[in-house]
Amino acid sequence: MLDVKGLSKNFGGIKAVDNCSFVAEAGLITALIGPNGAGKTTAFNCISRTMVPTLGEVWLDGERIDQLRPHRITARGLSRTFQISRNLADMSVLENVICQSKIRGWRDLFKPAMSSDEIDKALGILEFLGITRIAHEDGSNLSYGQKKLMDLAALLMSDPKIILLDEPAGGVNPTLLEEIIGHIRKLNEQGLTVLIVEHNMDLIMRLSHRVVVMSQGQVIAEGTPEEVQNDPIVLDAYLGGDQENGNG
Amino acid sequence: MMSFLDAQDIITARRTYNEGLTQQVDSRRAAWFPLVLLATLLALPALQFVGNYNYVIHLILYTACYVVMAAGWNILGGFAGYVSLGHNVFFAIGGYFAGMILARYGISTIAMAPLAGLVAGIAGYLIGLITLRVRGPSFIISSLALVMIFRILFENWHFIGGAAGVALPANELSVKWTKLPYYYAFIIMAAFALWVTYRIRHSKFGLGLRAISKDEIKAESAGIDTRFYKVLAFAISAFFVGMAGAVWGEYLTYIRPNIFLVILVSVNMVLMCIIGGKGTIAGPVVGAVLIIAFNEVFVATLGASEINVLATGLVMMLTLIFFPLGVVGTLAKHNRLPRILNWD
Repeated sequence: MLDVKGLSKNFGGIKAVDNCSFVAEAGLITALIGPNGAGKTTAFNCISRTMVPTLGEVWLDGERIDQLRPHRITARGLSRTFQISRNLADMSVLENVICQSKIRGWRDLFKPAMSSDEIDKALGILEFLGITRIAHEDGSNLSYGQKKLMDLAALLMSDPKIILLDEPAGGVNPTLLEEIIGHIRKLNEQGLTVLIVEHNMDLIMRLSHRVVVMSQGQVIAEGTPEEVQNDPIVLDAYLGGDQENGNG
Repeated sequence: MMSFLDAQDIITARRTYNEGLTQQVDSRRAAWFPLVLLATLLALPALQFVGNYNYVIHLILYTACYVVMAAGWNILGGFAGYVSLGHNVFFAIGGYFAGMILARYGISTIAMAPLAGLVAGIAGYLIGLITLRVRGPSFIISSLALVMIFRILFENWHFIGGAAGVALPANELSVKWTKLPYYYAFIIMAAFALWVTYRIRHSKFGLGLRAISKDEIKAESAGIDTRFYKVLAFAISAFFVGMAGAVWGEYLTYIRPNIFLVILVSVNMVLMCIIGGKGTIAGPVVGAVLIIAFNEVFVATLGASEINVLATGLVMMLTLIFFPLGVVGTLAKHNRLPRILNWD
């Protein structure tokens, strides 16, 4: 489904992502892991074109998307969340979510901001995520976890085929973590392809079907969670090998 | 995929709740007030039958002119969050376009105002394509540079009279009635501008602009064509400022770069929006009324010296200390907004 080929991103002389290739297969949960600074988020940014990649190609369902502008990529069915939840303050959760509903052509621009169909759909999604009670709260008044859930709700509003989650469990409490894992699993069971960046190994090992390990901008290993867990190269990358004692 | 939407009864309950909220919003609004205000203003010139109220007519006309401009500015500055200090460029474009046609062919600027607005809007679209690539302080500076470029251009373009400008013929009505065509033109334009901002506020376009003002990267990844939205907002706001400029030139009976292309005009537009409440519908109106009223009161009591400027500045500072989001914005946030001013 999502095919990343030879993706590179340089910041000056630093190669944040260096000739990185991997595949997120349809219907699976693929996890992108690696130590801090491995280039996971940069790779994400290049895929969703929040950043322009230096080199490489990104293909979605047989269509090359790395030259499209971000809103077109979203329209093709690839939606993402951000590591630090970006929400729209002074707008209610409902507005935040409906903001992400699809717009077809310029005629749609002058339709009512929130049609009753869209409100129903948004409330349905909030219901699914169990956060209907905050629908009319201001987006900036939410707790960190609620923001994460709101991001997920907004994501679903655009009817994506594949979702890119950047640390969906970062900084949330264990109860909520379980909830988020449950939601992701349920969405995946309904056929949604998921690509996920996460530091929480417990979550990765329980949730993902395939794991791609990055280190220093390169893909160093790929496989099922069990394979990756026992791969000496991966352990090296995480623990710093023989030369230095790692800081994980 | 959307099988989680099955819980139909829950959704019905939510829908009822939501409709309740909508009604609650409606009850906080007094839709009759803007209409009554408009009707009063339209009927007001009848005063001329019983006396000479030219000064009142002038003040309202002047306020309405600024309402058109501030409401236009609000679309870009208030909704999309792009503060432009160069919107008087479109005031000049509209003014010169309609003014030159009046001087050459004798066609009234009031009839030409929509076309002048369109010309300003197209200019806005093209300028927006270039300047809207940057945001924040860089955008403000680029908008200031725009004013300087146009000032040089207009002062040295002999066809349009250069720095000396062009005198326009006055209309042939008697002193008592001469202001009325412009009065009605500005009132109607102001009403139209406010209606359009209201419609934008409640459209997908408006929601997108608000998203852009909060977080442009998020808006973009939410599927909003941010570049197009911004440029369109720029063009629509330029349209209104250009329309105001068209009629303003004929009202003054001359067009000259230092009427249109002075920073005071664009700063006034911005201040009115900020004092009244950026991104609200009634904000530009409240701001225009307040600033023009302060000005007139202080000129009348303190004389036309620097002291009145100081006093006006002081009042504005105090207003912003107590109403950081503008009068309308702050009152609305604390649920203290009188129903008659809730035009959102």
